[in-house]
Amino acid sequence: MTGQSGTGRRPDGAAFIIAALLAGFGAVLLWDASTIPDRGGYAGIGPAAMPKVVGWGLIVLAAATFLGAFRGRLADVPRQNPVPLILIGGGLVLQIALLNVVGFSLATGILFAATAAAFGKRNLLVTLPIGTALAFGLYGLFDGILRLNLPGGLLETLIYGG
Amino acid sequence: MKHAILGAAFAVATATAAFAENYVIMAPAAPGGGWDATARTLQEVMVAEGISGNVQVQNVPGAGGTVGLAQFAASTSGDATQLIVGGYVMVGAILTNASPVSLADVTPIARLTGEAVAIAVPTASELQTINDLVEMMKADPGAVSWAGGSAGGVDHITVGLLAKAAGIDPTKINYVAFSGGGEALAAILGNQVTAGISGVGEFLPQVEAGSMRILAVSTDTRWPGTDAPTLMESGYDVNVQNWRMIAAAPGLSDEQKAAVLADIDTLAKSAGWKSALETKNWADTYLAGADFEAQLAKEIEATTAILKDIGLVQ
Amino acid sequence: MSTFDFLLQGLGTAMQPMILMYALIGVTLGTAVGVLPGIGPALTVALLLPVTYGLDPAGSLIMFAGIYYGGMYGGSTTSILLNTPGESASIVTALEGNRMAKAGRGGPALATAAVGSFVAGLLATLALAFLAPHIVKLALVFGPREYFALMMLAFVTVAAAFGESTLKGLTSLFIGLGLATIGIDGLTGQARMSFGVPQLLDGIEVTTLAVAMFALGECLFVAAQTHGLHDKVEAIKGSVKMTAADWRRSWPAWLRGSAIGFPIGAMPAGGADIASFLSYGTEKRMSKHPDEFGHGAIEGVAGPEAANNAAAAGTLVPLLTLGLPTTATAAIMLAGFQQFGLQPGPLLFATAPQLVWGLIASLLIANVMLLILNLPLIRFWVMLLRIPRPWLYAGILMFATLGTIGVNPSPVELTMLLIFGFLGYGLRLYGYPIAPVVVGLILGPMAEQQLRRALAIAQGDWTTLVSTPLSASLLAIAALALVVPMLLRLRGKGQVLAQIAGDSD
Repeated sequence: MTGQSGTGRRPDGAAFIIAALLAGFGAVLLWDASTIPDRGGYAGIGPAAMPKVVGWGLIVLAAATFLGAFRGRLADVPRQNPVPLILIGGGLVLQIALLNVVGFSLATGILFAATAAAFGKRNLLVTLPIGTALAFGLYGLFDGILRLNLPGGLLETLIYGG
Repeated sequence: MKHAILGAAFAVATATAAFAENYVIMAPAAPGGGWDATARTLQEVMVAEGISGNVQVQNVPGAGGTVGLAQFAASTSGDATQLIVGGYVMVGAILTNASPVSLADVTPIARLTGEAVAIAVPTASELQTINDLVEMMKADPGAVSWAGGSAGGVDHITVGLLAKAAGIDPTKINYVAFSGGGEALAAILGNQVTAGISGVGEFLPQVEAGSMRILAVSTDTRWPGTDAPTLMESGYDVNVQNWRMIAAAPGLSDEQKAAVLADIDTLAKSAGWKSALETKNWADTYLAGADFEAQLAKEIEATTAILKDIGLVQ
Repeated sequence: MSTFDFLLQGLGTAMQPMILMYALIGVTLGTAVGVLPGIGPALTVALLLPVTYGLDPAGSLIMFAGIYYGGMYGGSTTSILLNTPGESASIVTALEGNRMAKAGRGGPALATAAVGSFVAGLLATLALAFLAPHIVKLALVFGPREYFALMMLAFVTVAAAFGESTLKGLTSLFIGLGLATIGIDGLTGQARMSFGVPQLLDGIEVTTLAVAMFALGECLFVAAQTHGLHDKVEAIKGSVKMTAADWRRSWPAWLRGSAIGFPIGAMPAGGADIASFLSYGTEKRMSKHPDEFGHGAIEGVAGPEAANNAAAAGTLVPLLTLGLPTTATAAIMLAGFQQFGLQPGPLLFATAPQLVWGLIASLLIANVMLLILNLPLIRFWVMLLRIPRPWLYAGILMFATLGTIGVNPSPVELTMLLIFGFLGYGLRLYGYPIAPVVVGLILGPMAEQQLRRALAIAQGDWTTLVSTPLSASLLAIAALALVVPMLLRLRGKGQVLAQIAGDSD
């Protein structure tokens, strides 16, 4: 949850980026609200009111974050290893892309192997079959027995018959 | 996709031998709602009655069914094993969401069940008849707050149609949309609003318990379980039924369409379906083929007109 | 007294060995599916409901009750141990519970959740039996303006989950509020922040956001600290059992949680999540150890977990007495009742007393069964944490995506999971609290819609918000809860608060 501070440099730059992102989000809300016909009806306040309030709120918070950055007190960020992030993110992207092509088991097996690799188990010859087998078992349990509709591929159709 | 592969396999199989079709029914809603219940009941009855060997239900929730409809229309063309459940709510949602895919992009097969929309007040209310309520609206439309389901949904449309039929500006109605799950019912029972509008089935238990009074129902005939008059016999030209239907994939040949129609017809007339309707308290408003298509076309036209009048569709 | 007779009769039916067997199967299945990370009670009940088909009414009713309670409890187990809540009501449980687990006190956290769930379930089920008709009258007094006032109160209590920095807490909350505006506006049908993507029209699914932010975000955060294979594994030491101090601190929280949870759950627009937020805020305010909050305070698990379960029983009040399903789980339960020919509504208690009392008796039995099953299992659950990290986190992600794919197998939904996962990681990295984002997503639309409903009914007259004693006092309490701590902090930069806390210790 709240940041685990460790040793590292003070990310003043990060605070500027966060402030910019917040302000950007706020601006998008305000822009979108401006395109909405604000039919308040009998209530007097319509669908554009809430996005406007939140949008301005985010801009104020962005300003506060920006000012705070000069005092350099955002958070101490521990050293981050980007490789696991890329591995897990990539695994998810592959799962999304392949889900409806190769079916749930194989796509999820890939995610499993990618996650295991992110945590140090790099031997795909071990992790990929294990992950696929686990996902395949889950498919049988959830799609077959509990009738949750999971996307099936060739593997599932061959063994479970669809 | 498994279903596509299966579908292709079975298309080949059925071309050579006529045997029970395996169907995939899409419920364009999350598990738990009315369309999902319809799809799952169809699944059970179709298998139990031997109409189909294997039926799968697929949930694709989103945006009043239009997300599921779009996916269905795009991915199933010519595949007679694919069915989708839908309803009147979809007609409105297609219009209010400006959906690029409409019911013209699928093959409507039959209306299976439906429900009247009822207008009700708490027992303590001074309003005794639907005419009292309309008079009050004529005097000051803003003073009559209506609790009902989602904006642009069947309840909202019915209030709009009533206002229009009574010569009241439909943009002036004070319709307060509540989220599903009976929040509207709680607001009516708690005397928070002037009147409520919802499916008649939701009100009937309250009427029996003596806490609510139904002023009118929206269908052209009276509804079983209540002696409330129809809007038509009260002098307002409004006829709305919140129905659920089954549709097939686009691009079917006449033979394929006839085969699906025959299967659904067998289903609708089966004892299993009748008893399922009874257990679930669903009315049998079966209407199939060309009759249904004609009725659908009429309703889409009327709905488009009223949603423009209310101001929900440009 | 007829109520009592009916209950005894129901209990008599439910005590048959075969029926007890069904209860055990139900509880086991419910716990087993509910415990999977990222799969919440609604999905658990929906998945397992068909298992009860085909049994006789008494058997399927009790198995159903078991699944319901089992699913509720199973969800909190993984929230505590793995920080992966599968539904909004377990988020608060994860807040303190996971801190406790990280400090090697996962056993006591699970125990206080189990016993708290039992106590709350017992009290709330009894309240359901004896008070339902009266409670429901009270709940109907709540109209849009009262709900708006209640939401304001809930917003204020969320501040308790802000952590060290108010700026960061508010930022998180506003991110959640901003995300909440995505989708169709409930009152006018106007699409907001959807940019023409139809999948965005229904807004962001709370479950997706919660699973992404907690399960995926946590996984990414832990992974990014991994520098090579030989990483130190957190030792899980300490007793599995609750200490005497744990008991002493837990039981008032259980009772308070039950007292908050049941009525909030009984309100048609209440819900277990709001009950758990309010309980957490209350516990933090009343605790003698407010400094422990955010670092694993046992009250922060005991209270919300009791509130969550009491609210679950509370949702049965409008369901059984009015036929109103007020949560997704309740809607699925309604479908379940219908297969027994049970038509929930105001006359249910009069027309089908055997079934109603059978259900209530079943809930009581299932509740006891749950405790019997789960207390010994705690030892086993805690061992989950000994699974080597590569396998553990790979498994968590597998289940988290399974839950999302099962409900909505759309690439858009999975992409949202991915984006919010990285957002959750980023927030963790810079010390922004996660819970307020999800809370904003839940409370934002509720507060907005209730406000606009209240104003529409009053035709734009803002004084309607304070026109009933109930709404006025709720708003006053919310204002006091917001202003008083601020004044105290201004006067002594928090020293006064600390002193008060110190004095009463």
